[in-house]
Amino acid sequence: MVSASLNRRIHFLYIPHICMETGTYSSAPSSATLLRYYEAFMRIPESPVFRYGIALLFVGTALGLSLLVHPSLPDGFLIFFLSAVMLAGWFGRTGAGLFAVIVSMVIVDYYFIPPYRAFVVELDELPYFLTFLLSAVVTSWLGSARRSAEEKQKAHLDELFEQSPEAILLVDLHDRILRVNKEFTHIFGYTIEEIVNRSSIDLIVPSELRTETITAREQLAHGKDLNIDTVRVRKDGSHINVSEVAFPVVASGKNIAYYIIFRDVTESKRALEELQKAQAELAHLSRITTMGELAASIAHEMNQPIGAIATNGNAATRWLGQQPPDLVGAGEALECIVRDANRAAQVIGRIRSLLKKNPTPMVHLDVNDIIQEVLLLTAYETSRRHIAVMTQLESRLPAILGDRVQLQQVMLNLIMNSLDAMSAITDRIRELRIQSSRNPDCVLIHVEDSGHGWDPQYSNSIFDPFFTTKKDGIGMGLTISRSIIEAHGGRLWAERGAPYGAVLKFCLPISADAE
Amino acid sequence: MKPSPNRVYVVEDDASMRNAIKNLLRSVGLEPQLFATAQEFLDAKRPDLPSCLILDVRLPGLSGLDLQRELSAANIRIPIIFITAHGDIPMSVRAMKAGAVEFLTKPFRDQDLLDAIQASLAQDRVQRQKDSDVADLQKRFQSLTARERELLPLLISGRSNKEISAEIGTSEITVKVHRGNLMRKMQATSFADLVRMAADLGIPYTKV
Repeated sequence: MVSASLNRRIHFLYIPHICMETGTYSSAPSSATLLRYYEAFMRIPESPVFRYGIALLFVGTALGLSLLVHPSLPDGFLIFFLSAVMLAGWFGRTGAGLFAVIVSMVIVDYYFIPPYRAFVVELDELPYFLTFLLSAVVTSWLGSARRSAEEKQKAHLDELFEQSPEAILLVDLHDRILRVNKEFTHIFGYTIEEIVNRSSIDLIVPSELRTETITAREQLAHGKDLNIDTVRVRKDGSHINVSEVAFPVVASGKNIAYYIIFRDVTESKRALEELQKAQAELAHLSRITTMGELAASIAHEMNQPIGAIATNGNAATRWLGQQPPDLVGAGEALECIVRDANRAAQVIGRIRSLLKKNPTPMVHLDVNDIIQEVLLLTAYETSRRHIAVMTQLESRLPAILGDRVQLQQVMLNLIMNSLDAMSAITDRIRELRIQSSRNPDCVLIHVEDSGHGWDPQYSNSIFDPFFTTKKDGIGMGLTISRSIIEAHGGRLWAERGAPYGAVLKFCLPISADAE
Repeated sequence: MKPSPNRVYVVEDDASMRNAIKNLLRSVGLEPQLFATAQEFLDAKRPDLPSCLILDVRLPGLSGLDLQRELSAANIRIPIIFITAHGDIPMSVRAMKAGAVEFLTKPFRDQDLLDAIQASLAQDRVQRQKDSDVADLQKRFQSLTARERELLPLLISGRSNKEISAEIGTSEITVKVHRGNLMRKMQATSFADLVRMAADLGIPYTKV
């Protein structure tokens, strides 16, 4: 977002400059060559000899041309001399301009104001001569003012180019580097001399990204702006994370060069990664805490299949111990053992994935599966606390893209909150209602309880870190849940139940390629 | 060995456990009837056979302990063997006080369960026999005349015919006739037999 606005800003500032540069050379063979000529031209030597010399040259040329046309066009000299003083003003600035005016005045008086070939002015011709003189002064001033305005503008733009906090690179259509700024040399470690005229892709693009970069450059040629986060190489071979913005320089509807702007994001990327790591650790810690609270439930869930395995094992032993052994009965019991063992392994797998520290991949998920898996873990807890669980799950929900463990954690947090909120309720039914439904562009999940709800004065703070109404809560559950849902592009919010209780809702965007 | 007819009921919400118990019981020749909830068990028809109930403590809806209370309130006497994944002491005390035969914690030793089943069935068989004997005696007792019924408590208190005749104001010979009819109608083979029958019927002694 930042780089996009930067892109526009630079565009806005630079385009007039570029158009001006190139306007003069519309019929030139190669735009890049011309750009270089122009750059050279703008670095005209500042010596007075050159400045005054060129003024004389222009005036001399005007004299020659005027003498040529004078017989047929007596006033033709005006245009030549006015042009000469303007050009002298433009190239040689004010001093040379005025010098050209004076020289022109003398020459014009001598050659073109009657009496010819004499340094006098007839009285009749005086207004005519003075008008010429005034025009010449004004024209010369216009020339030099234009020059200084252009120089001022160019100085501003150069300053901006050089002082920009982002590294800027200007390349021609063949990827030859025309110009780089100070920040570029800082970030990449090259001096301007080392880099100008060489290929930018050869120098700063890692070899594995070469093809990709060339493709991107081609897209740029087709008028597509580029805005990516990528990796580039410094002179010393080290890598650097950059946010890169590129756009073409357009003159008369044609690309003539590309600006590429780099921002070093190594630091901010590292900070972001640290933040994500800290968040993941906190989420992991909170999962472990929740799993600790669920230990009895998990033990129960594990004990069932283990008890069944032991009992089936005994049954099989007895079938085999009969005379003759009953193989059919034993086989049935053994089949049951395999099934129960698989079930136990599944429970362990689920628990292990919830306790895992590393993020799990984003995959297409059915929200109903998540709900049911978590309800299995909390089944013992709900029955122990005499809580009725009602589910209303819309069948055939579209898939969402998510991290299974994280979403299970959110469900677990919300359910455990609901159970805790109902622990003190004795005068009405303790009921946990879970609903899933499809909205136009998201899947919506309700978790509703008949507990004590929360005090309206805390409405704004229930998602705050360390806010808790529980005696032994740490107040991170909802904070973590919200950050998980938001990281999935969804929303988590709370409503007060009617007439009592709390309703926590979250929605997850439907995966684009879900259907 | 042909087993005597009986009924073993299993109420267990966990399908794996329910199946495992079924396999175990079938391996020793028992054919259990399985239920996932207490309500299903209550709704089922139960034949008049020696029975026992294997009951999970923790059930959805009506819990095992709730079912035990309901059965007791409805005067349905059936020996109950509790099984639980997490037995705590107060819970088992409650169950045993309310008359449970056994309280087993999963995973239990198969022999413990089978022993408990055999003990329960035997206990129920005895109980049922006793119940049917008492019902029989009740029928015979109903067939007695009012005078004979009046006579029974006096007889079993060990009074002589003479003492009784004085007490109820009739001749000794009449008491003798009543006594003979009473013994016959009650199908008592001896006086000692009659005393035992009176005890089973809960007829109190009349103090001398």
